[in-house]
Amino acid sequence: MVSLSKTTTEVFKDSKICKLVIISCFISCLIFISSFSSNNLFAQENSDCMECHADPAEVASKVRVDHVTGEVEIVTMVVDEEEYHASAHGGEDFYCIDCHSDLEDSEGEHYPNLQPVDCVTFCHDDPAATFLEGSHASLMQEKGVQLPTCKYCHTGQKSKMNTPRADNLEHRGDTIEKCGGCHEKYYRSYRNNLHGQVTAMGYVGLDIATCVDCHGQHTILNSADPESTLGSEKAKETCGKCHPGAGNSFVKHVAHPAYKDVGYYKSALIALKNIRKDPAEIKSIVKSPQTLLTVLFVAYVGLLVVTFAQFGTHMLLSWLGSILDDRKENKSDHG
Amino acid sequence: MADNTTTLLRFGKFHRLGHTFTIISFFGLVLTGMPLVFKDYAWGQWLYGAMGGYPAAGNIHRLCALLTFVAAFLHFAYLAYESLIKKDRGMFWGPDSLLIQPKDVLHILGDILWFFRLGKRPKFERFIYWEKFEYLSLMWGTLVMAVTGYILWFPVQATRLVPVSVASYIDLPSIALVAHRYEALLAAGFIFSIHFLHTHMLPENMPTDEAMFTGKIDEAHVKHERGAYYERMKEEGQLEGLRVKPSSPMAKFVSRMMGVPLLTIGLLMVGFMLSSVICSLASLFMDLIKDLNIDIFSIFAF
Repeated sequence: MVSLSKTTTEVFKDSKICKLVIISCFISCLIFISSFSSNNLFAQENSDCMECHADPAEVASKVRVDHVTGEVEIVTMVVDEEEYHASAHGGEDFYCIDCHSDLEDSEGEHYPNLQPVDCVTFCHDDPAATFLEGSHASLMQEKGVQLPTCKYCHTGQKSKMNTPRADNLEHRGDTIEKCGGCHEKYYRSYRNNLHGQVTAMGYVGLDIATCVDCHGQHTILNSADPESTLGSEKAKETCGKCHPGAGNSFVKHVAHPAYKDVGYYKSALIALKNIRKDPAEIKSIVKSPQTLLTVLFVAYVGLLVVTFAQFGTHMLLSWLGSILDDRKENKSDHG
Repeated sequence: MADNTTTLLRFGKFHRLGHTFTIISFFGLVLTGMPLVFKDYAWGQWLYGAMGGYPAAGNIHRLCALLTFVAAFLHFAYLAYESLIKKDRGMFWGPDSLLIQPKDVLHILGDILWFFRLGKRPKFERFIYWEKFEYLSLMWGTLVMAVTGYILWFPVQATRLVPVSVASYIDLPSIALVAHRYEALLAAGFIFSIHFLHTHMLPENMPTDEAMFTGKIDEAHVKHERGAYYERMKEEGQLEGLRVKPSSPMAKFVSRMMGVPLLTIGLLMVGFMLSSVICSLASLFMDLIKDLNIDIFSIFAF
């Protein structure tokens, strides 16, 4: 024991070794501390990933198995750096392995089919929670419909890898189609409204309402719910985002006119048939603001048909008549 | 006909100016508005893009609407001036009126007989009955389009006029949209098919009725088309006052250069519209029979 302490003091007396130990301690401390602030000091830079993922020859066709559905597909894993930088996660502070955390310590080629990215646990727990608590998600669960993942809606135009920003135009247009994929009836009636008419042309800027602008983004409640974005309390605020000064009458707007929906007429006919059994049903259909729109629509279609049929016949007959008259005149002139 | 060089004045400068304003604004309105109705068709999307896309096309639409209001204002100012200051009531009642007269009913009946070769065509007055219908439908249409267009332009202000209890039955912007859209279809379809084919592309004044651009018309043409008017003018001795110099070849050429492209655009539009309507009707029909599941081969199952 004495000899050990002797040698230690001897070693420490040697200034060179002392310096080395102190410096190496300092460096290891630095590394330890820096690992708290960013764990990427020794991990892969984005450029390491891009060595392969920018090269179509390497990664253009890879097999991918969907973790939820089990579907197998061939996908391209080429990362378009420009697109990535334009996306929501394309800032300077993000590294590939921030999200693809199962590759944290791997080097070189990695195993295929990574784990799905966990958006929720560390970063986006808030929107996920509100989505799962909203009546939209709970109703889907009740009906046994597969809940969408984050990536189902937040998907890039060209590649799933890019998460579009909220004001990305293609994302806004894509959202309408995504919602409309399930809510077909409302999709068609939305397209019948002026908002939907303009967005159908591909103009989906922030100044034209898409589904999420009115119904909310993650907390999607039924519009009959007073707490929803279109409920009696918040509707004025929601409409007022684009129509400043929207009043109590304004928010009664029929954003989903049904007069072009065959199902609407069918349900009205069925209610009419059951008028003895259930008079309340037809009453509720007639008392809605849709009735006036439907009457106006049917009247205008009738007017269109009558006008064009009548004037079309008139025109053809008068053309025919004047041509026949001309011939007669010519004949009498010659004869 | 050609040897008769006498020419009469049919439309004064004021009316030609009004017609030109109406042409410019109407084409602007239709070209920027109609794509919205046919939003699902490629031609509609292309046309909307060609007119400047989302905010620009809407602004052109509003500018043209203002020009329509100018034309309408000029028209009503003219009516007021003629009737109140010049004390000329002839435009409301009588042969020179554009309103439906009892004689027009006789003209319609006579024309129906002529269609079926049961008599000669009646001799028409200054304005023929279908021209009166066109005029009145233009007035009605402008009124509807103006009111509904203003509601759509200022939806927030318009809904302030409706009390909340009524607003749950009467949704003003939605009603305005329905009326605006189908009145537009009616107006554009009517002008581009019936008005064009009935007034401009008649066998006798193919391709355009230049009277509306040069203001002048052949005496023989008037005699043939509007016999009663011609005779009335002759009897009253007003015919000499209507005589003007024949329009120069240049004026005729310019009016054709104006008229023919407009006619082409209009007829193309109505062609696209008609084919799109047929397509939508076909898809509606397919939708309706989709659930029927008629198995026509079941008749062979004996």
